[in-house]
Amino acid sequence: MALPISTRDGFAGGLRTTVMAPLVSLQERAELGRRTFLSHDASIRVADSVALRSLRLQGIEQENAKLRALLGLGALLQWGFVPAEALKGRGIGDEQTLTLSAGRRAGVEPMAPVVSDAGVVGVIERADATMSTAILWQHPEFRVSAMSLNGEAYGMVQAHGGTGADRYFLELRGVLLRSQIPSGAVVVTSGLGGVWPRGVPIGTVVSELKTPDQWARSYLIKPAVALSDLGSVLVLLPSRTRAGVDNVWTSAAGAELAARRIVSSIDSIARLTGDSNSVRQRRVIADSASARAERDTVRKRIP
Amino acid sequence: MPSAPRTLWTVGWFGLLVILQYSLRPMLGWRVQADFLVIALLVIAIRSRPAIAAFCGFVLGVVTDSLVPGAFGAGALAMASVGFAASWLKSVFFTENIALNAIFVLAGKWVFDIIYLLAEHRLGGIDLVAQLFWWSPLSAALTAAVGVGVLLVSSPPVSGHRR
Repeated sequence: MALPISTRDGFAGGLRTTVMAPLVSLQERAELGRRTFLSHDASIRVADSVALRSLRLQGIEQENAKLRALLGLGALLQWGFVPAEALKGRGIGDEQTLTLSAGRRAGVEPMAPVVSDAGVVGVIERADATMSTAILWQHPEFRVSAMSLNGEAYGMVQAHGGTGADRYFLELRGVLLRSQIPSGAVVVTSGLGGVWPRGVPIGTVVSELKTPDQWARSYLIKPAVALSDLGSVLVLLPSRTRAGVDNVWTSAAGAELAARRIVSSIDSIARLTGDSNSVRQRRVIADSASARAERDTVRKRIP
Repeated sequence: MPSAPRTLWTVGWFGLLVILQYSLRPMLGWRVQADFLVIALLVIAIRSRPAIAAFCGFVLGVVTDSLVPGAFGAGALAMASVGFAASWLKSVFFTENIALNAIFVLAGKWVFDIIYLLAEHRLGGIDLVAQLFWWSPLSAALTAAVGVGVLLVSSPPVSGHRR
């Protein structure tokens, strides 16, 4: 303490860099270890929280995608619909009915169509003031007039029924013998009867069913809407049903059909010319265009 | 003249206590902590003459003061004083009593704090009083508890008369 400051600082600095350096390093590691030990519990809590959130993330992403799709559908429809939350119950028969969070006050009426971004969900059975009940396409009393996308075949869609996996399919009945629908073809509402507007997707043809009917064909339909994934739906008002929804769902379905026609044309050309490489390239382009059309099913139209 | 193995044993314990000062103390991070450097000095002091103990204390104090440039020399003064006094007192009276050994270490640590705080001129007023008569005695008590254990483990009980 009696030394001049410069001498003192120089001497102390020399000691720090020589004798004390390893001890200071030891102290630094000890303090780091103490901070790590103290923050261990907090780190574990953070890690557990992150793990829990990541588990929920996939479900949240799916729900977000569905809500975005529904928002897009709403943007395309623009008017004449009521959004509603699907409130699913746990009782017997609840897989065939659905309680919705919108009722008469919102404009919901019995026999109003219930749709999602993918297509037909069901129809309103009864409407209370603030909530309503709908029968889903799985219900044995559900019926909807249907047609193929190209309009060449008409019939009536109802639940396939049965047990096991059969109850998750639909049937298209009463199709004239001369009208044959290939597998994979999209079936939409025909608009006949006034309950459903024309052009709402119902499902895709899986195969033809063998029935005793000799004057008509029946087809097994894979529904467009999976009832287990329902969260939010739209209820179409009568005015919207009368006005029609032709350009909302069928644009994407039509684009997919056009893409398939392109691919088949390319194949025909390739067979004639024998150029397989260009066929593969063009098929890739056509498939990507088809996939983009599916994603853009409910994209907002650019005026 | 102490034997070489005994000297090595003492030096080993000294080194261990210095390492504990810069590893265990910061790891625990307690408000009241044991001073392993004082214990190390006392381990040296009870086995050497006052002059050697004072010199060891001075060197130890200078080295540790390098981390506190603002109070450079305060630790050297305190360590040298405590080392000399501890070695001199140890040669004056003999004790195998654990309690007296604890008082020995407690007194050593408290005196060290008093000399150090007064020499560095950093604290004043009520802070100095609180540090001298509250935190220092607590630290001295904890140092005594640890120091007694170290003294018992590091060597046989303190012999009264050196031959």
